[in-house]
Amino acid sequence: MNASLAETPSLGSSWPLWRRQIVGILRLEIKKNFLSKRALPMYLLAAIPVVILMMLAVFDRGMQRGVRTNLSQAFIVFSNLHEGLILRTVIFFGCAWIFMNLFRGEVVDKSLHYYFLSAVKREVLVVGKYLSGLIASCTLFLLTTIGALFFLLLPRGLQANLDYIFDGPGWAQIVDYLGITILACIGYGALFMVIGLFFRNPIIPALLVYGWEWLNFLLPPMLKKISIIHYLHSLVPVPVNEGPLAIIGEPTPSWIAISGMLAVTAIVLGLASVKIRRMEIQYGSE
Amino acid sequence: MAVYQHTYQQYSGPSTPLWSRFLIIPRYAYKSVFQSKLFTGLFAVCFAPLLLMTILIYLKHNISVLEAFNARVSDIGFDVNGFFFRIFTSLQTSLGFLLTVIIGPTLISRDLSNNALPLYLCRPLSRADYVIGKMSVIMILLSLITWVPLLILFVFQAYLEGGSWLWDNLYVARAVFVISWTWIIILALLATALSGWLKWRIAASGALFAVFVVPTPITIIINEMFRSNVGTLLHPGFLMNMLMDKLFRMENTFTPDWMVPPTWSMWASLATLALICVGLLSLKVRAYEVVK
Repeated sequence: MNASLAETPSLGSSWPLWRRQIVGILRLEIKKNFLSKRALPMYLLAAIPVVILMMLAVFDRGMQRGVRTNLSQAFIVFSNLHEGLILRTVIFFGCAWIFMNLFRGEVVDKSLHYYFLSAVKREVLVVGKYLSGLIASCTLFLLTTIGALFFLLLPRGLQANLDYIFDGPGWAQIVDYLGITILACIGYGALFMVIGLFFRNPIIPALLVYGWEWLNFLLPPMLKKISIIHYLHSLVPVPVNEGPLAIIGEPTPSWIAISGMLAVTAIVLGLASVKIRRMEIQYGSE
Repeated sequence: MAVYQHTYQQYSGPSTPLWSRFLIIPRYAYKSVFQSKLFTGLFAVCFAPLLLMTILIYLKHNISVLEAFNARVSDIGFDVNGFFFRIFTSLQTSLGFLLTVIIGPTLISRDLSNNALPLYLCRPLSRADYVIGKMSVIMILLSLITWVPLLILFVFQAYLEGGSWLWDNLYVARAVFVISWTWIIILALLATALSGWLKWRIAASGALFAVFVVPTPITIIINEMFRSNVGTLLHPGFLMNMLMDKLFRMENTFTPDWMVPPTWSMWASLATLALICVGLLSLKVRAYEVVK
């Protein structure tokens, strides 16, 4: 008994092995996430906000006139675009595609058993795959946010922008938007990975989540808190007007929003780990 | 019979006419489609609004039934007119979309992932026949819940109303027919193209939803930012709604007037979407595939 206990590696000594395994999984998965044919829709989706703001910088008509001259109006426009298009559509669908594909994609390709047959703890596999999805989504959607901000500020000229960023509130606002983007990838990523693991057909739950997130502005304050967009909405530096029908709720303080989102993500990943321990592969049914 | 006596002879029986050969595909597809209880249930539900419509038309013209409920014709707060048919056409086409989401994604993907296309195309069935056959699985079912019953109800209403109602409202019949067929063709093309390119059934269903969901914020943002109606052309759902309003001779219902593009551009946009789907299908539906 004592001998077997002595041979069992302790939790502390397992960390280097798990870390090496996670790095190995990351190497494989990041290549798949960025270079496979499945990544193409992501690139197209991520390019949409950038293209729209590029058109805004190039064409001189409509609301764009005010955006060129008035920086506060420019950031109101950006805030709406960031929440309405980048967060609710691009990151939502992007994360749905990336994170649901982490396991379901392997099942469709009939390749998940290679992972399951290797000497890797399934929890380690979950963490490795989640991190790979997070790196892919954060890279893509941070570039989207940066590209959109670049074309938003471009028509104002270099000096005006430098003044705004380094001598005004610009830097803090830009960091806030990038932080919200990362937080959205963390939250939606965990949610969609667990949906992909628990449901054979993840489309219906994903659509329900989409509807819930879109109708968030109509929900009473208590229910608003059971959504990801509420916490992201609380963090935006330039508040977004949710329309005349919206039920206004108290925004969650940023430290609660961030720590709460991270805690929920950890719980969701824990659930995914429990689920994957009992997972059996049935390729035929896909 | 001894083996050496087996000889191959040309088939001498009656052959199916060329034009109707594609119908073999829906014939077998329906056998598997209606094995699903979910689909059969949803298909039955699709007739509920039509039943309601029939009852409403009947009530409107049957004074004795109204008297039994102590009501008069003037108490019924609706007219059977373009608006009435527009509402039900909109409802039926939406239900048609749900049917397509269920049956569309597997139409071609199964044949492609099991390398079964050569088995179809080695028979006297061209690539076009194959695609039309697959599309007709959706087209026939959607016809059964859209323009066929709606036109029957139009005739029913014309019969009960009598007089010049039929001639005065002929545009309604035209609108029902044109909108239903446009929707059916767009959905059938989208479903088969996505089915061909996304072999994962669930991804194809998701993509079919995404085609109608993702363009919504893009359309609104482009239109609002540029004070233009160009963004509307990116949204097939908005286009169908606006065309429906125009064909039913109604005011624009869901969006401000300035967001409505010229009619020709709406048709051109839908035609472009259809052409893209045809192009995608022609790239994918081949008797053999070179895998690198």
